[in-house]
Amino acid sequence: MAEILRVEDLTKYFATKKGTLHAVDGVSFRVEESKTLGIVGESGCGKSTLGRVILHLHERTGGRIIFQGQDISNVTAAQLKELRKDMQIIFQDPYASLNPRMSIGDIIAEPLKIYKLYPSKEERQKKVRETMDVVGLAERTYSLYPHELDGGRRQRVGIARALILNPKLVVCDEPVSALDVSIQAQILNLMMELQRERNLTYLFITHNLSVVKHISDDITVMYLGQMVEKAGASEIFAHQYHPYTKALISAIPQPKYNAPDQQIILKGEITSPINVTRSCRFAPRCVYAKPECFEQEPQLEEVSKDHFVKCHFVREINGL
Amino acid sequence: MNKHSMLSEIWRRFRKNRQAVAGLIVLVLFVVVAVFAEQLAPFGYDDQDASRAMIAPCLEFPFGTDNLGRDVLSRLLYGSRYSLSIGFLAVGISVLTGGFLGVIAAYYPKLDNIIMRCMDLFMAIPQMLLAMCIVTALGSSLFNLMLAVGLSSTPKFARVVRASVLATREQEFVEAARAIGAGNWRIILHHILPNSISALIVQATLAMAGAIISASALSFLGFGIQAPMPEWGAMLSAGRKYIRTQAYLTVIPGLAIMVVVYALNVVGDGLRDCLDPRLKK
Amino acid sequence: MAESILEVRNLEIRYVTDEETVCAVNDISFSLEKGESIGLVGETGAGKTTTALGIMGLVPDPPGEIVGGSVLFEGQNLLRMPEKNLREIRGGKISMIFQDPMTSLNPVMTVGEQIAEVVLLHSKMSKGEARKKAMEMLEQVGIPGGRCDDYPHQFSGGMKQRVMIAIALACSPELLIADEPTTALDVTIQAQVLELMRNLKQEYGTSLILITHDLGVVAKICDKVAVVYAGEIIEYGTLKDIYTDKRHPYTIGLFDSLPDIENESAELKVIQGMVPDPSCLPEGCKFHPRCPYAEEGCKHGRMEPVSVSETHMVRCGRFRGGEV
Repeated sequence: MAEILRVEDLTKYFATKKGTLHAVDGVSFRVEESKTLGIVGESGCGKSTLGRVILHLHERTGGRIIFQGQDISNVTAAQLKELRKDMQIIFQDPYASLNPRMSIGDIIAEPLKIYKLYPSKEERQKKVRETMDVVGLAERTYSLYPHELDGGRRQRVGIARALILNPKLVVCDEPVSALDVSIQAQILNLMMELQRERNLTYLFITHNLSVVKHISDDITVMYLGQMVEKAGASEIFAHQYHPYTKALISAIPQPKYNAPDQQIILKGEITSPINVTRSCRFAPRCVYAKPECFEQEPQLEEVSKDHFVKCHFVREINGL
Repeated sequence: MNKHSMLSEIWRRFRKNRQAVAGLIVLVLFVVVAVFAEQLAPFGYDDQDASRAMIAPCLEFPFGTDNLGRDVLSRLLYGSRYSLSIGFLAVGISVLTGGFLGVIAAYYPKLDNIIMRCMDLFMAIPQMLLAMCIVTALGSSLFNLMLAVGLSSTPKFARVVRASVLATREQEFVEAARAIGAGNWRIILHHILPNSISALIVQATLAMAGAIISASALSFLGFGIQAPMPEWGAMLSAGRKYIRTQAYLTVIPGLAIMVVVYALNVVGDGLRDCLDPRLKK
Repeated sequence: MAESILEVRNLEIRYVTDEETVCAVNDISFSLEKGESIGLVGETGAGKTTTALGIMGLVPDPPGEIVGGSVLFEGQNLLRMPEKNLREIRGGKISMIFQDPMTSLNPVMTVGEQIAEVVLLHSKMSKGEARKKAMEMLEQVGIPGGRCDDYPHQFSGGMKQRVMIAIALACSPELLIADEPTTALDVTIQAQVLELMRNLKQEYGTSLILITHDLGVVAKICDKVAVVYAGEIIEYGTLKDIYTDKRHPYTIGLFDSLPDIENESAELKVIQGMVPDPSCLPEGCKFHPRCPYAEEGCKHGRMEPVSVSETHMVRCGRFRGGEV
């Protein structure tokens, strides 16, 4: 399988008044072509920042980004513009990510104008209409404005704008979180269908575990800027080894009558990612925490084939 | 959708706002009056005649005559030329300069401090003093007067625009534009400005009133428009002396300024609303 | 049968503006017994929140307008009650938790003051006693009482929602209306808050109306479920009725469109089309344009509710003849 994206030890720190905020701290992974890597975590775990750093919407602090075999960690403005044809993003909030003063047709056509593709107006309109058809937007929405559409259709506009340049990699930042369940299913199906047709690679960022399970091939769980567990999608739902992943998966309320109640309720809240120390970042909330966890940072180790966990006592806890 | 149908769409929305349409009609009337002042005015603006000084409004002189016996109506009609052009052009100058500086300051954080501190410096100087300095430096003429009035209110516009752009630039669609490869100027012109425009329009309509008044104050002080040119503000100041006995000399130009300013404000409000597609329906 | 604390009968609420009439709530009836909890489930624009506002007497008027129906709370019709009496009930006997804990707390008052404010409004306590009560309430929801003098920005999202719960429960209300109380929270924090709500509900014997779009949250905490679609309850029953014996095509579609973490499936089942615009609702059954079983008969007239069992009601023509 051809690798399309690899990040190595990627870090992104923000300087704040209170100190250095470790938004992304030493993340490494690789994604293969036309696969989906799901990145799961709660708010503040750095998953959105990670996606934006890869797209150069934020500049990284350290580490390397390799895209299609090329190191794109440092690029000039001109190279970046070329690069963006191949890497696109779908945003979470279809209300905020569309310019309210532009019509749907103009919004979808904008990438074409920027890259001066299809210089004639007729051709451009034709291409826009084709793309609208692909994402299931009716012809008549062409001249409407974003506020006239509902959430699901707005998200289709966002998808059309991202796909009109035929990108290879699409970062999906919570693309269905703002949508109603029945619409969410429509959009997820559309995205999977487009992936099959166009060999897209997705970096699917979300806090919704059931959605990520559905769409991903591999899943990475993040906590406070770091990867704590990484494995195949079905593997991670079958065996969770990291105490945080266990709690996270058990916390999903099941839409079932008399669902067995085996919830692990975590104590406390996510600690601050500012001025972190070298320790396990989950230790303050972990039921298994021992003094060692507060003193030394665990490394990501392969517990079983392709299943990585960042925990000192992973074998002890899981009886491996 | 082509440009033509977009304009007609905006017009269709504007028409629904009755007040704004009334305001627009008033403004158009004033502009027509300004253009055809020579044909409309019964007398010249400087036809003095001591024998008919200080005649209260009557059939022959609907708005009366002033201390030099000049017909107030004729002066008012001619005066609309100066007042309106000062209002529009001065504000145009502040919109352009203030808008440009505000956008640059908000969009490029590195320049923000330099630009805004300079603006603060300008704001610390009383506007009138600043305008007087500008006129003195450039020499007194109608255009320099507009320039002075316009430049002296630049800081206000820069502040309003900067605040509005700062809020807009944090919105996700700006990031979305960057993600599809849009350059800075494209982002500013296509995404940020159209979404920050309403604050600018409101400020501009309000400032136009201020500009007419400041220009008249400057004229009164001897900068800019010189007697006997009939500028509304100058007429207002000239009539001030007779406010106890011949109140119409101040009331009439005052009313004219008020009507224009009010019309401008409602048109501005209507414009802001009809330019925003979100308020459509 | 236990005493019924709240009876909503044929509630109908509209928003009337110059341009259009939005029929937000069209025919909502349900009842709630003491200590019971009901989940109002539905998608955006289904009229869940408007129903809650209707019960509280907080529908903004204009443009809102309660067209018909009644809301009997402890036997009194809240819709006919003078505003003064209503105010005593609001925050006292009925209280409400909103979706967004970030904006529903006043940023310039300490949380202690905000809890004490409700207490002072509804009881004859002294300021000192109210403050003590506030600290007590904070402890109840798992926040150290000492944080009473902290301001909202010093709390995280989950903690703020706990403060909201403390405010809501400070006067030991008979009925608590929670509008998407955990939607803005992370899953692990949501689990904490739900656990807290469940425990407090048992302890205080409070009845609960839970408004949510999350079928998982409903399963955790509710005894009864009402599925709301286009301002109508289209299926109503006990938790067991709805989760194990769902009848209405919309309810079935809603469950099917959720990705299931226990089963693998290539494609999600989808309800075609979208939620109808409440300013121009379809005739007949409101769901018929999206329904795979729609027949000619569904397109006209009023769809009346049909009883499937004593506790289970469904508003669908397929069950009209009584054959189930």
